[in-house]
Amino acid sequence: MQENSLRNWKIHLFVLILVCLTEFIGVKTFNIGIGAIALFPMLYALIIGAIISLPSLKILKLKEMNIAANILGISFMLFVAKLGMLMGPSLPKIFEAGLSLGLQEVGHFAGTILLGLPIALLLGMKREAVGATFSIDREPNLAIIAEKYGSDSPEGRGALGVYVCGTLFGALYLSVLASFMAQTGWFHPISLAMGAGVGSGSMMAAMSGALAVIFPESAKDIAIFAGAANLITTILGTYICVFFSLPFTNYLYKKLEPILGRKSKQDQMKNI
Amino acid sequence: MKDKILTFVMIGIIALMGNWIGYNVSPIDALPGMMIIVAVTILGFFFAKIFPIKLPTVIWVSMLALLITTPIFPGNESIVKVTEQVNFMALATPILAYAGLSFGKDLKEFKKLGWRIVVISLVVYTGTFLLSTLVAEIGFRLTGKFH
Repeated sequence: MQENSLRNWKIHLFVLILVCLTEFIGVKTFNIGIGAIALFPMLYALIIGAIISLPSLKILKLKEMNIAANILGISFMLFVAKLGMLMGPSLPKIFEAGLSLGLQEVGHFAGTILLGLPIALLLGMKREAVGATFSIDREPNLAIIAEKYGSDSPEGRGALGVYVCGTLFGALYLSVLASFMAQTGWFHPISLAMGAGVGSGSMMAAMSGALAVIFPESAKDIAIFAGAANLITTILGTYICVFFSLPFTNYLYKKLEPILGRKSKQDQMKNI
Repeated sequence: MKDKILTFVMIGIIALMGNWIGYNVSPIDALPGMMIIVAVTILGFFFAKIFPIKLPTVIWVSMLALLITTPIFPGNESIVKVTEQVNFMALATPILAYAGLSFGKDLKEFKKLGWRIVVISLVVYTGTFLLSTLVAEIGFRLTGKFH
């Protein structure tokens, strides 16, 4: 990342306006029959920001969008610092939840594969499915796939597809999903908070925001445990992806593909 | 580095405004806390750069933030007290605004994708969230913690 790729007053000005406007609107909940959707400032900021950036509106140039993405990459560190400062005084409480906190990481890493791979095969995907489902396909995971198979391999295209979708819709989708899961009443707010530590900054922020709106009395605990789980997912991520996720996905692919995979070969490649 | 520092200060100011409008904390009350948050972030980047063993910046920033707020660190109580003035949601709003403003750049790439990969992306994200929440919940019910 080039140093001068962070300097753009237009972007900061847009963010300032977005923040003031969306914080002013505040939290709103809408009942849509199957449950309430919690809308909150960071979600509006995400959506309005996305509309502003639409290429057809010609408000932002591609270069400016890239600068916004670069700023996003480092701005998350401020959020990490804030979460760390929430965690410090609560370390005893975090250790107390240590067993669940450790075990749920298995869910983070296995969840993408166990749910994703069978469905991908049923939809007719071939080797693309391995790249798409072995992880949540953020930047470090893309690097692992690119190193092993190359970026232009079927695995690479699968991983890149999920990466693009995740960048565009991940935070929004997951915050709505978190809202719904919170309202089932099946899960403790702290379990949901740990689940929110998926290993991506913006997704975790949006999910913990949604949870904090639904459980305002647990807002601080939600931030602490989402932050702790996210930190563990991030630290362990690369190693687990190399030594467990990718071999396990390949193993499962070999076992499941003959059963679930579609026979016709014409489906593959063209639909990625 | 200079541009990074400038960017953090900028985001800090924006977040202070959001913190004021959304959470009714005046920027003057929240300023010391925000300065500590920005300082810890900059220090994290600095350590990541100079430390001989390469560790990701996110680890440095987290560890520094954790360290200065744990009960063993002198003055931790006052650090916690001032940083509490900055709501974590107020800090997340600008971050997601930057995320939103970068949306358009990937749209062209997205239009090339087939519907299957879009479905699978949502399934993948559902899987990681659902399964980890489920395991945590089972863990809590078995150990009786938080229930």
